[in-house]
Amino acid sequence: MRTLPLIAAAAGLSLAAVAHAHHSFAVFFDATKSVTITGKVTAFRFTNPHGTIVLDVADAQGHVREWRAETNAPVVLTRRGWTRTSIKPGDTITIEGWPSRDGKPYVRMRSAVHADGRLIGTAPFGRQDQS
Amino acid sequence: MRAVLATAAAAVFLLAAPAAAAPDLSGFWSPAFAGIEQDPAMIAKLPANTVVIDDTGAAEFPRMEFGGLKLKPDALARAETWQAEDEMTLQKVCAPPSIVYSVQGPFPFEIDQTGDVIAFRYEYYDQIRLIFMDGRGHPPADAPHTKMGHSIGRWDGDELVVDTTHIAASTITNNGLDHSDQIHMVERYKLSPDGTKLMATQWFEDPAVLDNNGARFIEWTKQPGQYVLPYECDPSFVLEYQERGEGGAE
Repeated sequence: MRTLPLIAAAAGLSLAAVAHAHHSFAVFFDATKSVTITGKVTAFRFTNPHGTIVLDVADAQGHVREWRAETNAPVVLTRRGWTRTSIKPGDTITIEGWPSRDGKPYVRMRSAVHADGRLIGTAPFGRQDQS
Repeated sequence: MRAVLATAAAAVFLLAAPAAAAPDLSGFWSPAFAGIEQDPAMIAKLPANTVVIDDTGAAEFPRMEFGGLKLKPDALARAETWQAEDEMTLQKVCAPPSIVYSVQGPFPFEIDQTGDVIAFRYEYYDQIRLIFMDGRGHPPADAPHTKMGHSIGRWDGDELVVDTTHIAASTITNNGLDHSDQIHMVERYKLSPDGTKLMATQWFEDPAVLDNNGARFIEWTKQPGQYVLPYECDPSFVLEYQERGEGGAE
């Protein structure tokens, strides 16, 4: 392979407008831990770069807390059999995934099942399946 | 001066192109995540002073790790102040990264091949890239820079060699290391003997940012009958992230 002698002068280089989009799994989620939540869906956003499931989760004392589950990109979900109607508000589902590093009620979904135990989609998602 | 050098370099690049039968790279290619073995012959063609970084597919370097890339002091200072949360804004979340990062990401792409132009259609952020095979050179240095850059290609035996300039500044490793708009990238693409795998080396130099050169080895598998899906990024995703409440996993 030949290298081309492009000479880059320090002056005039543009870095000021740098902005990129995709957020890092490793920075936001703890891949060494797992969290499972069961709750009633209040919203399902099926848009790239990530889908979001919002659900009300009751603890043992009956206190309800709102959780959000971030999903793989819907282009990835689609290839695993998901559609924008796979989950509807009012559905009770259980989500298993990786917890947010900041300790907030935010999880990266690995799998989701209906109340009767049926897997949503055709297969769970792994770390390698991001984004 | 830079324009003259770039034009001369492109002329040399194109004159060296041999007239060989071109393999057909057309098809839907999905990134391979496991069982990847680097092609020694392709690695051997990388220039000296190049480090092959291991962050293809879903892999990502932790903060302040860059796989052996040697950062200039200014680039290192920027990386030290980078905060991942700063990317989670309406303004940034749907801004695509440049081809320097996108080419290795965990999303599929399609190749549509003709004699004079080869089109790469990436699912990631709906990006489209044209590889001009008609003998043209790169545009003048002051021509617009874009996230996909300007690519010219030639066949070197059974390998497609793509030379890309005019890439707008963006990320290299998605952890605070950004390239300048003077980055120069050369890729080599080769089919496996049975045609089911596409292998590539992605080499880049950016003297404004790096003291050495970087490269990746990337592999995809052919998935007949599949198509690139629309990405249609919706930035309102970050509103969901920002609205997450307090208190989470016990």
